Amino acid sequence: MSSLAATVQNIFDEPGCAKNGSKSKADRRKGCTRQLQPGSAAGGCAFDGAKIALQPFTDVAHLVHGPIACEGNSWDNRGSASSGSNLWRTAFTTDLNETDIVFGGEQRLCKAITEIINKWDPAAIFVYQTCIPAMIGDDIDAVCKAASQRFGKPVIPINSPGFVGSKNLGNKLAGEALLEHVIGTQEPDYTTPYDINLIGEYNLSGELWQVKPLLDELGVRILSCISGDGKYREVASSHRARAAMLVCSKSMINVARKMKERYGIPFFEGSFYGIQDSSDSLRQIARLLVERGAPQELLGRTDAVIAREETRAWAAIEPYKPRFKGKKVLLITGGVKSWSVVAALQEAGLELVGTSVKKSTKEDKERIKELMGQDAHMIEEMTPREMYRMLKEAEADIMLSGGKSQFVALKAAMPWIDINQERCHAYLGYLGMVKLVEEIDKSLSNPMWEQLRRPAPWQVLAKAMVQMRSPLAEIACDPALGETTRRAKEICFCNKVDLGTIEDAITAHGLISVEAVREHTNAVGGCCNRRIEGILAASPSALPQAAE
Amino acid sequence: MAQSAEHVLDHLELFRGPEYQQMLDKKKMFEDPREPAEVERIKEWTKTPEYREKNFAREALTINPAKACQPLGAVFASVGFEGTLPFVHGSQGCVAYYRSHLSRHFKEPCSCVSSSMTEDAAVFGGLNNMIDGLANSYNMYKPKMIAVSTTCMAEVIGDDLNAFIKTSKEKGSVPAEFDVPFAHTPAFVGSHVTGYDNALKGILEHFWDGKAGTVPKLERRPNQAINIIGGFDGYTVGNLREIRRILELMGIQHTILADNSEVFDTPTDGEFRMYDGGTTLEDAANAVHAKATISMQEWCTEKTLQFVAEHGQDVLSFNYPIGISATDDLLVALSRIGGKDIPEQLARERGRLVDAIADSSAHIHGKKFAIYGDPDLCYGVAAFLLELGAEPTHVLSTNGNKAWQTKMAALLASSPFGQSCQVYPGRDLWHLRSLLFTEPVDFLIGNTYGKYLERDTGTPLIRIGFPVFDRHHHHRSPVWGYQGGLNVLVKILDKIFDEIDKKTNLLGKTDYSFDIIR
Repeated sequence: MSSLAATVQNIFDEPGCAKNGSKSKADRRKGCTRQLQPGSAAGGCAFDGAKIALQPFTDVAHLVHGPIACEGNSWDNRGSASSGSNLWRTAFTTDLNETDIVFGGEQRLCKAITEIINKWDPAAIFVYQTCIPAMIGDDIDAVCKAASQRFGKPVIPINSPGFVGSKNLGNKLAGEALLEHVIGTQEPDYTTPYDINLIGEYNLSGELWQVKPLLDELGVRILSCISGDGKYREVASSHRARAAMLVCSKSMINVARKMKERYGIPFFEGSFYGIQDSSDSLRQIARLLVERGAPQELLGRTDAVIAREETRAWAAIEPYKPRFKGKKVLLITGGVKSWSVVAALQEAGLELVGTSVKKSTKEDKERIKELMGQDAHMIEEMTPREMYRMLKEAEADIMLSGGKSQFVALKAAMPWIDINQERCHAYLGYLGMVKLVEEIDKSLSNPMWEQLRRPAPWQVLAKAMVQMRSPLAEIACDPALGETTRRAKEICFCNKVDLGTIEDAITAHGLISVEAVREHTNAVGGCCNRRIEGILAASPSALPQAAE
Repeated sequence: MAQSAEHVLDHLELFRGPEYQQMLDKKKMFEDPREPAEVERIKEWTKTPEYREKNFAREALTINPAKACQPLGAVFASVGFEGTLPFVHGSQGCVAYYRSHLSRHFKEPCSCVSSSMTEDAAVFGGLNNMIDGLANSYNMYKPKMIAVSTTCMAEVIGDDLNAFIKTSKEKGSVPAEFDVPFAHTPAFVGSHVTGYDNALKGILEHFWDGKAGTVPKLERRPNQAINIIGGFDGYTVGNLREIRRILELMGIQHTILADNSEVFDTPTDGEFRMYDGGTTLEDAANAVHAKATISMQEWCTEKTLQFVAEHGQDVLSFNYPIGISATDDLLVALSRIGGKDIPEQLARERGRLVDAIADSSAHIHGKKFAIYGDPDLCYGVAAFLLELGAEPTHVLSTNGNKAWQTKMAALLASSPFGQSCQVYPGRDLWHLRSLLFTEPVDFLIGNTYGKYLERDTGTPLIRIGFPVFDRHHHHRSPVWGYQGGLNVLVKILDKIFDEIDKKTNLLGKTDYSFDIIR
């Protein structure tokens, strides 16, 4: 376990991350994520983080070493799309039982690996460590090493048991495993000056395929995508890429940085979310490749493709402008998405009332300011209650967020769109933005929201009835009763001035300020200031006064 | 032989065997076979706008009608009364159809007799058949009431039911005081919904207006009760039970007229129930005193409601209320007329339906639907779809009339989602076939017969309607009320997700999207 602890410490020291770099050495040791608070709802664990980061490798058998809890509840829960093998979707687990816990699970793991090799013969096996075998001391590194030698096939230990920390830490530990055991272990069949790596791109809903044709057109080859629609051989030979694009910096920055250090592969942080950002990313790719020796003409071709795609996308978004007039969006997501979709939404005529920056880096925040102005409503940490309030009070017409916030929107009866991993649509690239705008339009025009906001008709009726039966209504019908009530209700407790006296003074003299009421009555206007303001606001005399 | 005693194959598999295939191939040679290319050409031609034009120019021929005949509706209404034997005066073949039609849908026996008119009766009139028929059925099946309706045959020769029944009673077929309401229900007028209307009106008329002149008319002494009429409905078992539950929750005194929810859903416990449940004859008579009568289906009860209104009651009709707004309207009306509040439990059910719609309406929103069926059902389903943001595109009712068309058009015009929809009264399923080819939709809603359209056009069918022969037990769950709305929502969603799965399950081709989370 000491090596795991060392790896974790290693991850916590990330020069590629500005936030991390600005921390003191002591703070850095504590890690990047807030310590979990026992008793509060929390997200996934380090195992989950490692699993979702690597699971999109399609031709790998992902074997979870642990009791049924870890794989049984989670298998095939991500919509990454594969263009080839479906092996990644098959759930493999050692399904440890009581006896294994007592006598150790290594034997069982060994057998499980053998059975996978015999039945499936995959390109590689990733063995995921979980809490229980880690606690009882199963040495999966040793088992994997032995199995690799015995079968002549990569069997990779992914040492990220749940208890070591957060999901994000798990993402990084997965990256470490790739760096340690996979990357650089094979050679590509051939290389070109146009080879790139995409790091931290998961091909959810097959969205990478909305961008890939553009890269194909430019002649840029994705040597390896880590890990969306990725193959073992590709990632194993990814060290020969000429440049890399880091798509989700939060999850895989360590991979990009270390590949730069080890293999001299320059990288940039970019995104294919949003039109401007897709263009920026394509340009960056071209620039880096040219810097590394690709022919200069790539830049020109890239610009041509960008110009064409942008024109097409803006034209497709244009018709939505009038429909979106005055519509306000609240964006609750993390990292790059906090700014990368902003431009497209703004272009479509939507107004952004806020974007969350919980998982965003300093650069992300700078970009937000660029796009939304200095006073951009950046929300560091938005509680569900606050989201609910913003939606309920119609400070926003629609919320774009991850799946876990959807019920907040639903309870506030406001439109909502999932832009995180569990979404059903692909929003990447130029087409993706058009699709997103289309989906926003659909959601805004969904008649369901109207239905959601409307109370049951009989409740409206009942409310009206209650109002009719209320003292106010009675007073309206019976002036004498009204007079008594008015006189009985004290407003200024200090000098005992009643509501009737104040109302009469307001009506008689056309008073419009607390100051004036004080002059004409005995009211102090101190602790009763608010109450008098209320009476002034409700007073009918305010109207003729204004009319005159 | 593919067939052997050791392993007897069902027809699903048997005829796929090589010897049958060979035999059928050889047989074809003697059947003036057409060039396969020619067959293909014609097949493709039937999908064209040109063919559609010819199809819609049809005047005399109805192909694949989405309607049945009056006596079917009459039988359906009649069995909804306590111990009532439907007696159809006319040819027995027709009656066999009603029985099989109903029992294939409800998976329950349907008891119904005919006067078995034959050629001589057709020539000399059916009086003797009526006399013998009433006597026999009275003695054999011991009913509490015999409700008489007619087939075309009796109608064409002009048999006078009133006179015939009177004569039969004089001849002692049944006791003079025995209830024999009647209704003329010729198949060449209207459809099964008209027959329902006529039969129900006939029965109410019998009890309320002096039993064909034999007793004094009932004098109406208004009380607080409400009468409910379900109309002809394939979901009668679930729906009437749901309506009763709602009324009981609200504490409204009520009578459900023609309540056939029991007889079409009898328990299997060793006892055969020829009659079960139903509106008691006493309740049917006392229904005259109710303060109001509410029909769940306007076009099933046009004459009945008019008749009820003439007796001084308030009448109100709905159009197969499915979904939130339709159920809201129903409950508010019940609350207003019944003078009772809507209980919290129903408000919670409403909230749950709203919640369910919110959770999944994105999948339905913007999808195009074709709907066919009885006029009220079409209206109710279309209204619900509009509520969900779906776009009804073709609404077709073979037994819908001009008035229905106007009301449908008004409903569609009221929503941005109904703008592209066309309403087709009096058209059949062959017309719909052309529509589905020339203006395709995402889903088709209709009865079992829609499966041929599903096969031909590839439009997935969601089975909502009557009859549903090839799926079991759906009639036991309501489609009305908030809970019913939920059932319909689930039916639609199930099909949508099934389709997504079907389109993404090709191994190594489309299964990159064969996801477990939808």
